[in-house]
Amino acid sequence: MYVVEIKNLYFSYDDSFLVLDNVSLNIKKGEFVGLIGPNGAGKTTLFKLILGLLKPLSGLIKLFGTDIRNFKDWKRIGYVPQKLNSDYFFPATVGELLNLTKGTRKEEIIALFHLDSLLEKQFLKLSGGQQQIVLLGLALSTDPDLLLLDEPTAGLDVHFRNHIIHTLKNFTVKEGKSVIMISHDIGFILNTVDRVLCLNRSLQYQGNSRDAIGVIENMFGIREVKSGIS
Amino acid sequence: MEFLNYDFVQRGILTGLLIGASSAVVGVFLILRRMAFLGAGLSHAAFGGIALSMIIDVEPFLLTALFTVTVGNLIQLISSKRKVPADAVIALFFSAGVALAVILLGISKKLSENVFGYLFGNILMVTEKELIISLAVASFVALFVVFFYRNLILLTFNEEIAKLRGAHINLINHLLISVASLTVVVSIKAVGIILSSSMLVIPALIGLITGKSFRSCLFISMAVSFFSVLVGIFISLYYNLPPSGSIVGIMVFLFAITFVKKILK
Repeated sequence: MYVVEIKNLYFSYDDSFLVLDNVSLNIKKGEFVGLIGPNGAGKTTLFKLILGLLKPLSGLIKLFGTDIRNFKDWKRIGYVPQKLNSDYFFPATVGELLNLTKGTRKEEIIALFHLDSLLEKQFLKLSGGQQQIVLLGLALSTDPDLLLLDEPTAGLDVHFRNHIIHTLKNFTVKEGKSVIMISHDIGFILNTVDRVLCLNRSLQYQGNSRDAIGVIENMFGIREVKSGIS
Repeated sequence: MEFLNYDFVQRGILTGLLIGASSAVVGVFLILRRMAFLGAGLSHAAFGGIALSMIIDVEPFLLTALFTVTVGNLIQLISSKRKVPADAVIALFFSAGVALAVILLGISKKLSENVFGYLFGNILMVTEKELIISLAVASFVALFVVFFYRNLILLTFNEEIAKLRGAHINLINHLLISVASLTVVVSIKAVGIILSSSMLVIPALIGLITGKSFRSCLFISMAVSFFSVLVGIFISLYYNLPPSGSIVGIMVFLFAITFVKKILK
C-alpha cells in the first residue's frame, strides 16, 4: 500500500487551462521526496489536491489506500504552508499555537527544535526563519505519517537550513514517515532527498537526483545544476 | 451615584455589559478574518429588517434577527465563491438594506416616528425583555467561542492547517457570521444602527494592538468594552448626553491613547 497514490490526475481552476495534466505518482512509506518545478508548474496545487482542498477534474487520489473522497483521517497528515492567511495583528503566541494543535508529541518537538525560548513570543513577531521552524514543529507535533512541506526552508540561512533538514530527516527516517518537500533551492533539494519529482504541469521526471539534472536544466533553462550537486 | 438605584439605569448597565462582552469577543475574530466592515454592513442591512417588521407588524427583534442572520450568511456564501471581493459584497448588502428601509420609511408612518431611536439607540431605554434577549445572545456567543475556540484561532491562522486539525471551515464561518449578526441586532438598541459596528471594531482593535497573546487580546477587548459602557453611561447621566455617543466616544478616546502610545514606543 502506498502512502500517496495518484493516477491520471487532471486539474484546472477555470476549465480553460490545465494546471495539472495527467499526473501519476506514488509515494512509499518512509520516502523523502523532493518536488521541484518552475513557478506556476502546479506544485502547490498538487499539495492542495492531496489535502482535499481542491477537487480534481478527473483522476484518482488515494491516501493510505483510501480514496480521498472517503478519507477522514486528516490527522495523519502534517502540512507546512507556503503562505499563512493570518493577519499582521494575529496575536497568538507559539505556546498557544502548539496547545491548539493538541500535539501528542509536543514536548519532544519543543526540545528537538529548541522551541522552549520561543513559547511566550507572538508567532508573527518572530523572524521568517523562526516562523518556519515553528510551522515545522506544529506539523510534526501531531505525529503525522505524511508530511507535506511547501518551501519549508525559505528565509533560513544555509547553516540553519541544513541543521533543520538534518534534524527533520533523522526524525522522519527513523520513524518511517513519508515527506514530500517543495523547494526552489534545486542544489539543496537534490542533495537532500531520496527521490526527485520534476513537475511542469505534467510530471517530467521521477527518479534519483543524478539523473534528474538534464531534465531540470531543460525545465528551468539553466546550465549550472550539476555544479550544485555534492 | 443615587441614579444606580433606578431600574432603568441598572437594566441599561447590565444590557450594555452583555452586549459589550459579545461584541468585544466576536469583533476580534471578525477583524482577524479581515471582515471589520461586516459590522457596518450588517447593521445597515438590519435597518431593512427593522423596517419590514414595522410594516408587517411583527415582533421587531425576531424578524430583524432572522433577516440579518440571513443577510450575513448570504454575504458569507457569495464571498466564499471568491468571484467578487468580500468587502464589495458587504457594501452591496449595506446599500440594499438601507434602500429597503428608505422605501418602507416612505410607506410607514410608524417607522418614520421611531427612526431616530433605531439610528442612534438608547441603552437607558431598554426593556426587561431586551435585557433577556441580550443575555440569551451573550450566552450563545460564549457557547460558540468556548466550543470552537481552538478551531476559530486555527482558522484565523491558516485554513489548510485548521482543516487538517479537524475544523469544519464552512460551518464555523457561517456560525461566526450568524453570531456577529445577532450581536449587531442587539447592539442596535444600545448604540443604534450607525454606531453598532463601533462596538465590534474598536475594543477588538485595542485588544489586537496591545495584547501579547490571543487570550490577553480577548480580555483587553472585553475590558475596554466594559469600561466604555460604564463610563459612557455615567457621563451621559451626569451631563445629560446621548449614551450611545458617550460610549463610542470613550472607545475612540481609548483607541487614540493606545495608538499614540504605540507609535511613540
